[in-house]
Amino acid sequence: MTDQAPDSQKLIEGLEGLALKVVMLEEGDLPGLGSFLNHLETLKELLAPECAPEVTLLFQQLEEVGNKLILQEITAAAQGQELLGQGVSLLLIWAREHKFPKDGEAWKTYCRLSQELGLGGTGERPPQSEAEPAPAPAADLEGFIWEDQELTASFITEAREHLEGIESGLVHLEQAPTDLAAINAVFRPFHTIKGVAGFLNLPQIQELSHEVESLLDEARAGRIEINAAIIDLTLTGVDRLKEMLEDLQEALSEKRPLRTFDLEDIKSQVKELQEQGPSGEVPKRQLGEILVSQGEISSSDLNQALEKQKTEAGAPPLGEILVKEGKITPKKVARALVDQLTEEKAIGEAAVSPAGTEGKAPADAQMAPTIKIDLAKVDNLVNLMGELVIAQSQVRQNPNLLGVSDQKLERDLAQMSRITTELQMISMSMRMIPIGQTLRKMVRLVRDLARKSKKQVELHIEGEETEIDRNMVEAIYDPLVHMVRNAVDHGLETPKEREVQGKPPEGHLWLRAYHKGGNVVIDIEEDGRGLDRDRILAKAQERGLLQPGDQLTPAQIDNLIFEPGFSTAEKITDISGRGVGMDVVRQTIERLQGKVEIHSRPKEGSRFSIRMPLTLAIIDGLVVKVGKERYILPAVAVRETLRPAAEDYFTVQGQGEIIKVRSQLIPLLRLHRLFRTENGETHPTKGLVMVVEYDGKAQGLLVDDILGKQEVVIKSLGETLQNIKGLAGGTILGDGRVGLILDLAGLFALGQT
Amino acid sequence: MAQVARQLQQDSNTLQDKEGKYLTFTLAAEDYGLEILKVREIIGMMDITAVPQTPEYVKGVINLRGRVIPVIDLRLKFGLEAAEYGERTCIIVVEVQGAAGAVQMGVVVDSVSEVLNISGDDIEPPPSFGSRLKTQYILGIAKAKGTIKILLDIDKVLTGEEMAGLESLGS
Repeated sequence: MTDQAPDSQKLIEGLEGLALKVVMLEEGDLPGLGSFLNHLETLKELLAPECAPEVTLLFQQLEEVGNKLILQEITAAAQGQELLGQGVSLLLIWAREHKFPKDGEAWKTYCRLSQELGLGGTGERPPQSEAEPAPAPAADLEGFIWEDQELTASFITEAREHLEGIESGLVHLEQAPTDLAAINAVFRPFHTIKGVAGFLNLPQIQELSHEVESLLDEARAGRIEINAAIIDLTLTGVDRLKEMLEDLQEALSEKRPLRTFDLEDIKSQVKELQEQGPSGEVPKRQLGEILVSQGEISSSDLNQALEKQKTEAGAPPLGEILVKEGKITPKKVARALVDQLTEEKAIGEAAVSPAGTEGKAPADAQMAPTIKIDLAKVDNLVNLMGELVIAQSQVRQNPNLLGVSDQKLERDLAQMSRITTELQMISMSMRMIPIGQTLRKMVRLVRDLARKSKKQVELHIEGEETEIDRNMVEAIYDPLVHMVRNAVDHGLETPKEREVQGKPPEGHLWLRAYHKGGNVVIDIEEDGRGLDRDRILAKAQERGLLQPGDQLTPAQIDNLIFEPGFSTAEKITDISGRGVGMDVVRQTIERLQGKVEIHSRPKEGSRFSIRMPLTLAIIDGLVVKVGKERYILPAVAVRETLRPAAEDYFTVQGQGEIIKVRSQLIPLLRLHRLFRTENGETHPTKGLVMVVEYDGKAQGLLVDDILGKQEVVIKSLGETLQNIKGLAGGTILGDGRVGLILDLAGLFALGQT
Repeated sequence: MAQVARQLQQDSNTLQDKEGKYLTFTLAAEDYGLEILKVREIIGMMDITAVPQTPEYVKGVINLRGRVIPVIDLRLKFGLEAAEYGERTCIIVVEVQGAAGAVQMGVVVDSVSEVLNISGDDIEPPPSFGSRLKTQYILGIAKAKGTIKILLDIDKVLTGEEMAGLESLGS
C-alpha cells in the first residue's frame, strides 16, 4: 500500500482538478469538455491495474457521457454535466478511501441521473463505505497571482484617472495659488496612488508619489508657497508617473520585470524647494482680483485701470480709478474691500487647520454611485440586446402568429416589444460616457502650448457632462488635439499683437460640447485673428488647388484648409504646421460619420464645429438591393437618389461611365459589377443611382432598388475579413441574416482603379 | 548516428504532444480530425451572406447568435470538388489564434463523425508527396479503427499565409 502512495496522491490531486473543471463547465462549452476528457484520459493511466472493475467502468462511462455531450447526443446538457460531477466525486471518494461509498447519496444520484439519460447503470452495487461526499477542491494557489494582476491592472486605470485630475487641478492651482481646496484636490490623489502602490509592492511609484506628496504637504500646511517652480515640478512628477504606469502595463502583459527609473533629479528638486523654507506671509488676493472673480468688472477693465494706476501721478488706489471711470459703484468697492479683509483672516486660519476652508475646487462634479464593469461585458450585452430585438421581430412576423386574433396575445406582444425597446436603450446608454474627461485632457495641452508660444490663453470648458459613445471618445481625441493646437498656435495672437488690435492681452479658447438633433457637437472657438482668406487663396493658387479665375465664396475659401497638403503657417513650429493638418482631421471625422464646419470672422476669431453621431455602434442605413444581395449604405452620405434619363448617361472610351445630374458630371460605379453579384440591374436607366459624397467628392452608385431605411448595429466582420475594400462591416438584418455595410472611402478608391 | 537518434526522439516527442481528443469529420471520401480544444460548437447549415472580393473558398459570413463570423468551405480550400450542401453538411465553429488574439470561424464539412481519443503512438508525421501536395496544414496522420484520419492544424488552415494574403488583398 505504501509504495502506491505517490501514485494515489497524484490521482487524488488529478481528480480534484477534474472536479473543478466540471464545476466550471458551461453548457455547450466544447473546449472545456475536451480538456475534461483529456484530463480523464491521463488519470485513467494512473489507475493501478488491480483496481476494482467498477472504477474502470465508471471511467469509461464518464468518457462516454463526455463524448455524447460534445456530439450533442445528450439533449439535457445540464443533467449530463451533473452526472459528470457526481461521477468525479464518486471517484474522489474511492481514491481517498479505497472503497466505494455504499448507498451513499452521491451514488444514488449518479444512478438516477444515468438512468434518466438512458445510459444503464453499472449493474452491481459497489462495496461498502461510510465516506462523506467529497469536500470542495482546495483553492488554486495560482488564483492569488491572478488576482494580484487584476488589481494591478485596475490600479493602472485608476492612477491614470487620478493623474488627469491632478493635471487639471494644477492648472487651476496655477491661477489661484492660495486656494487650499485646490491644493487638497491635487494632494489627495497623490496620496491615494502612494498608498495603493505600496500595497501592490511597486516601490518606485510609491517613492515618487511620496516625494511629490510631501512637497504638496508643505504647501498645504502653509510652509511653502505654491509657485511656478512647484507646479512645474509636480507636472514633471506626473509625467514620470505616467511613464512608469506605461511601463507597468507593458510589464504586466509581457510578464517582464519593471524598468528602473531615475528619480534623483526630482528628489533633489523637491528638497531644494522644501528648503526655501517657510514663506513669511500668505499673500492676500488683490482687490482687482476679487472684483473680477465676483463678476463686477471684466479683466480688461481691470488691466486698463492698473495701467492707469501706474501712469497717473500719485498712484491713486485701484478702487478710486474704477469708480471714477464709472465701471463700478463705490458701494461695491467697499464690499470687496471687506471681503478682502475676511479672506485674509480665513487664509490665516486655514494655514493652521487646512480642513476647515471652503474654496473653489476644480469642477468636482457630483457623481451618482457607480460601479466599474468590464467593457467586454457591456459590448456583449449590447450585442445580445440587438439580437433580442431581432428575435422579437421574428416572432411577431411569424405567419402562424399573424393568423391568430387574440387580444391578450396582442397586448402581451406589445408589452414585450416595449420592454425590449427600453432595454435596448438602456444597454446602449451604458456605452455612453461623459466627454468631460477628454475635454479636460486639453487643459494641460493648452497650458503647455500657451507657454511655448508665449501667449496668454484662458480656456473655458462647457458641457463636460455631454454623453458620447466610449469608442467615439477615443477616436475623437487626436483630431481634437490637432484642432486645439491650431487654435492656440495659429488662431490666437500674442499679447502684443492683441493689444495693437485693442483686444485684452489674454486670448480665450472655448471648448463646448452639446447635443443637437441626435448628434454630438463639439465647438472649438477662439477670439483670435480669424482665418486669413487672402493668404489661404494665395497658398491655394501656389499649390495648384485653384485656377486664377476661380470665384469662391468666403465659406469655400475657408474650406480650402481641409485640402491635403495645406498649411498656412509661415514658419513650421514644433507644435503644429507640419502640413499634415486639417485634411487628416476631416478624414478622421468623416470616418466617424461626422462633419466639420468653419465659422470665421477676420480679427474676431474662428469657430470649428465637429458634428458627429452619438454612437459608432449604430448608423442610419439605407438598405439597397443589388442582385440577390442586400447592402447597407450610411444614410448620412447619400445626397440624392435618381433614375437618370437615357440622355444623361454617357460613357467615356467605352469603359468609364458618367451621369449628368443637373449640371454636374458624376462618375458611376456599378455595385453589381464591382462585387460580382449575379442578376444585378444592368442599365442605369433601369436601376437606381445613389449619389453619395465623401471627402468633398461625389460618386454615383448603381443599385437595383432601395428596400428601406433603418438603424443598424455595426459589427466587425472579424480579423480575416476586416480589411476588404469597400466594406465597413456587417449587421444583422430583420430576418436574421447578415447584411454588409458599405464603406465609402473604400468604394471611392475602388472606383478610381 | 547519435544525431539521427536524437532527431527521431524529438519527432516522436512532438507526435506525443499531439495525442488527445479529436473531433472527426468527413470531406469527400476522406476522414479528418480537429483538436477538440479548438472546437466551439457544431451547427447545421444556415444562410450565408456572400462577401465580395474574397477567394471562392470564403463562403461569406453568418450570424452566430448576434456575432458575425466568417465561414470557410474546407472542400474548396483544399481544392476538392465542390459539393451541394445537404442535410448532413455542418458548420464546425472553431476558435483559432489570429494576429490579434482568438477569433472564431466556421468551417463547412460534409458531416461530423465522432470524438476519438488518439494516442501519440498512433500518430505518424505527415508523409511527403513532393511538390504535388503541400502538407503544411497537416499535424499528422492517425491510424484509428482500421482507417486513417488526417489530423488538421486548423490554426494554419485558417490563419496561414493565404489568409494573411486575404487581408492584404483588401487593404
